[in-house]
Amino acid sequence: MEIYDSAIKQSPVISQLKAIYKARGLLKILVTRDMTVRYKRSVLGIWWSLLNPIVTTGVLFYVFNTVFRSRMPDNTSFLPYLLSGVLIVTFFNQSLLAAADSIAHGAGILTKVYVRPEIFATSSTISGAINFSIGLIPLTVVLLINGQHPTLNSVLVLVVILSMIFLIIGLALFVAIAFINFDDSRSIIAIILMMVQYMTPVFYPISVLGPNTLRVIKLNPLTSMLINFRSIYGGNGSTGWHMWAYMIGSSLTIFILGLWFFIRAWPKAVAKL
Amino acid sequence: MTKKSSAEVIVDLSSVSMRYRRTRHRSSSLKQTAIQTVKRRINFEQFYALDDISLQVKRGETLAVLGRNGAGKSTLLRVVARVLPPTKGRVIIRGNVAPMIELGAGFNTELTGVENIMLYGSLLGRPIKEIRSRIEPIAEWAGLTEHLDVPLRAYSSGMVARLAFATATDTVPDLLLIDEILSVGDESFQAKSRERTLELMNSGCAVIMVTHNLASILEYSDRAIYLESGKIKAAGSATKVIAKYKADLAKK
Repeated sequence: MEIYDSAIKQSPVISQLKAIYKARGLLKILVTRDMTVRYKRSVLGIWWSLLNPIVTTGVLFYVFNTVFRSRMPDNTSFLPYLLSGVLIVTFFNQSLLAAADSIAHGAGILTKVYVRPEIFATSSTISGAINFSIGLIPLTVVLLINGQHPTLNSVLVLVVILSMIFLIIGLALFVAIAFINFDDSRSIIAIILMMVQYMTPVFYPISVLGPNTLRVIKLNPLTSMLINFRSIYGGNGSTGWHMWAYMIGSSLTIFILGLWFFIRAWPKAVAKL
Repeated sequence: MTKKSSAEVIVDLSSVSMRYRRTRHRSSSLKQTAIQTVKRRINFEQFYALDDISLQVKRGETLAVLGRNGAGKSTLLRVVARVLPPTKGRVIIRGNVAPMIELGAGFNTELTGVENIMLYGSLLGRPIKEIRSRIEPIAEWAGLTEHLDVPLRAYSSGMVARLAFATATDTVPDLLLIDEILSVGDESFQAKSRERTLELMNSGCAVIMVTHNLASILEYSDRAIYLESGKIKAAGSATKVIAKYKADLAKK
């Protein structure tokens, strides 16, 4: 029989990781719910989730390619460069907000049943990752039209997706606490997200940046995600192991920090839900 | 699970206090907080939602909790449900807890009946395999067998409530938490759900019940506590505690 004793203090991060692992059944159900609601029960289904990145890419492509007549260096073709950037940033923005809201709007359940809220954030992020994976279909089509064929390296996409998942969950745990504690945090988070988006080389090549700007841009974990993601299909040349190490290291660090912070902040936050 | 003696203590609270800090200006904006912090004028108000509460509930017992709004009843339920860790004191819960929560809080209207039973059941902490094997009995009890594959948005509110009640009360937990006795649906279903609640209460679990309905306390439980400003003002037999509570209400 399970015995709960509030006096026993456990190593918080490890015990929470165990709790999340133990609740993987619930996790599966929550992800299935998201997928069913999004794809099975909506008329546009799968096309709906492709609409956003495709339209965004179309608009940006028109603006930069036709209006500004800008050209990428080294004959890199702009369309896959742009689409991959839009896919990563959309994955990041949508999942981060969905994951934070799943906790901030979870009062109906979270204040009454003992469910670790991290599980809600995790399921929202995994749903976002599945969406992102569907976005890989148009990207592959663009690449094939371009004459680039997928290689065995493609499995490395999984490493990028996993890193993204850890990064997003970690950040979402911070954002969820901000949402609960401060009514006006939503607009501030929106501004920060916009800044992060411009600090990621979605539509500009890194080579145009000055050394100081480049240093800042490279600190952004999303930049390493995107550079590695692009390197997989060879659009940008290989990146070297340190870029991969930074991507994995920074996302895991942020994940642990988020978990650590959340475990401390949650008891006070749940009272405000 | 092995058979347990009826004297087993399921809930054991010793000197449990729950303290909150709330800012005096009552605004929760980041801008305000930043300004206050810079001006060093942030002053918090400490208040105790629960103040030195000790109580035990044994297997087979039903404890009723009464008190006015804001007396700490919901906080007590949350502490016992493990949602809130206590600021001071010690909480021991032996076994699994099932809260009879606001009906349908975990439901999604786009999902079918079956999918919602799975979702709700797993939110309540039940293993997936177990829930899957219980789908038929749950639907049958709720009288919804024919509607199981229809999305919930096509259900009437009574049907949703029946499904939620049936799912929530499907298994016997070690500790049952009730926030107001649920009476849902038409008269015949109300009678059926009262019967099910009593059945659960008598099946050997410990029960903590919060309610404003004094008549129902006498019907369901023998012991009660009366909370005021987070403290236990009276405890003992339900009749005595209710009498004390009524006398206090009349004074105000």
